[in-house]
Amino acid sequence: MFDSPYEIALKPYGMALLELAKKNPNVFCLGADLTRQTETDIIRDELPNRFINVGMAEANMIGIAGGMARAGKIVFVNSFGVFTTRRCYDQIAMAVAYPNLNVKIVGFMPGISSPGGPSHQAIDDMALMRALPNMTVVDLADNEEITQAVAAVAEHQGPVYMRLKRGEIPIIFDKDHKFSLRSAHHLIQGSDGCIISSGMMVPAAISAVKTLSDAGLKLSLVNCPVVKPIDIETILSAIGTKNFVITVENHSIIGGLGSAVAEAMTDKGVGVPLIRLGLQDTFAESGSREFLFEKYQLGVQKLIDSAWDKSGLKGEAPRAPLQQIISGKYAPV
Amino acid sequence: MTSQTLVDTLALARLSNRIRFHATNMVAIQGFGYLGQAMSAAEIFATIFGNNRFKLGYDRFVLSPGHYVIVFYAVAAELGWIKKEELLSYGADGSLLEAISTERTPLIDLNCGSLGQGLSGGIGLALVAREENKNRHTYVFLSDGEMEEGQIWEAAMFAGHHQVGNLTVLLDANNSQVDGSIDFVTTIEPLAAKWSSFGWQVAEVNGHDIAELTKAMNLAKDNQPLIIIARTKIAGHMRAIPDSVDVHFIKLEPEITSGILSQLEEEYV
Repeated sequence: MFDSPYEIALKPYGMALLELAKKNPNVFCLGADLTRQTETDIIRDELPNRFINVGMAEANMIGIAGGMARAGKIVFVNSFGVFTTRRCYDQIAMAVAYPNLNVKIVGFMPGISSPGGPSHQAIDDMALMRALPNMTVVDLADNEEITQAVAAVAEHQGPVYMRLKRGEIPIIFDKDHKFSLRSAHHLIQGSDGCIISSGMMVPAAISAVKTLSDAGLKLSLVNCPVVKPIDIETILSAIGTKNFVITVENHSIIGGLGSAVAEAMTDKGVGVPLIRLGLQDTFAESGSREFLFEKYQLGVQKLIDSAWDKSGLKGEAPRAPLQQIISGKYAPV
Repeated sequence: MTSQTLVDTLALARLSNRIRFHATNMVAIQGFGYLGQAMSAAEIFATIFGNNRFKLGYDRFVLSPGHYVIVFYAVAAELGWIKKEELLSYGADGSLLEAISTERTPLIDLNCGSLGQGLSGGIGLALVAREENKNRHTYVFLSDGEMEEGQIWEAAMFAGHHQVGNLTVLLDANNSQVDGSIDFVTTIEPLAAKWSSFGWQVAEVNGHDIAELTKAMNLAKDNQPLIIIARTKIAGHMRAIPDSVDVHFIKLEPEITSGILSQLEEEYV
């Protein structure tokens, strides 16, 4: 695991998809008028016969993908997360999830990483996809995870929803990091509490855990890229007998990572206080990433404050390190 | 018309008669069900499956309105693809022959129950056939009520633009939906002009006329999708079905059942 500010990789999804398609002639890619924005210009330009632009017609795109998968293909469908989930939910349920087909649904611009307001902010995509039988749900944090996940979801028999940031992706994990559709990662060991995070919130969680550690509060940190099926064993072993658990996700607190952890804890009778950070059952608004993460209380400082409050330690909570914006580097929000 | 064609047409007329006969008996067991669908689409299903045009297990059949599956069960039993005794389990708890088709339904390549979705799936199947250089044909059965769903037109636009051939849509235009006649609920016409403007080859026929249906099906090309708008009556021509009943999901009184069956016996030649 590297330190922030992180080095950046460019378009790892688009590159990985091209590599996969070169190796596997059954891989096809469908898009809905957001080709460059979903990094699929890379496969379009190199393997034009494997790319179909369906146009702004997500329902039709899902239906076509279902038909192609039924005829033996592995089909990646691409758009922003709002449009590949909420917009065409019945189509996903009936044409993909119920028949358990090899359609891999990719949703970019998760949560409030989009400046475009509620129409473009996928705050309920994991909740929607998690509710569908047969569906695997993945929320990815970094370059290494994205690169490995593309191959892993293609190999998996059945539908997958994969949400990821686009464009400039931080390099958090080194090459030894192993992504698996079955595993969460207990990244940092600590005895006082436990933070569980996924996707874009992983760098923020790492920063918060380090700051708190310097101030004397030792937390465990779990990276949970596969939100369904959730790795109950790793999560419950990280929670152990600690005093509190905090989940943090770039998503509504209803139906996503926090809900999945709460369900796992309840099922196993684990009675540890749980704080779910994320959008508190609200739509957001337009704005810069910094503004939105601050306003909707998803940043490093909110994590630090929540853990500090819960710990019972006296005095002011430590301050999040000031993140210098360095061109060509990625800093957590 | 050649004498061979006459023989074929007669055989398909008989098959249509048997489809209506089986469907009536299936619905009569529970006393209600999707009988109107068999009455309006009997000739369409007979023409798709009854003349060796459709190669089961090779060509593709998509049933977009899943509640029409009763018509498929009837034709499949008559062609020996499923056992006639099995028809008696139609709609019963635990039966494979569900009243609205599902992933469990035998022999059909793609079933939809949520309306308006079948054409997109059919296009996916046809695209793969084209990519694999197979000449397998994809037949998509649609009902006219589905024209109210936006996804149909997304799919129509796609297939026209991408010149998806070896793709035939059979549209049962019976002017019937749950809330009444379609033209009472909304205006979907002019259907032929709409599909034609989306880049499709269009044939508009009397959907109870087997010769017209057969001729239209022969128009299919490998570089343009074809739609056959089959104008039908939801009660078919059954004198025993009064105008007053809801034929979309009929409550089948015993006297209507016997009226239908005796007319079908009378007409079976």
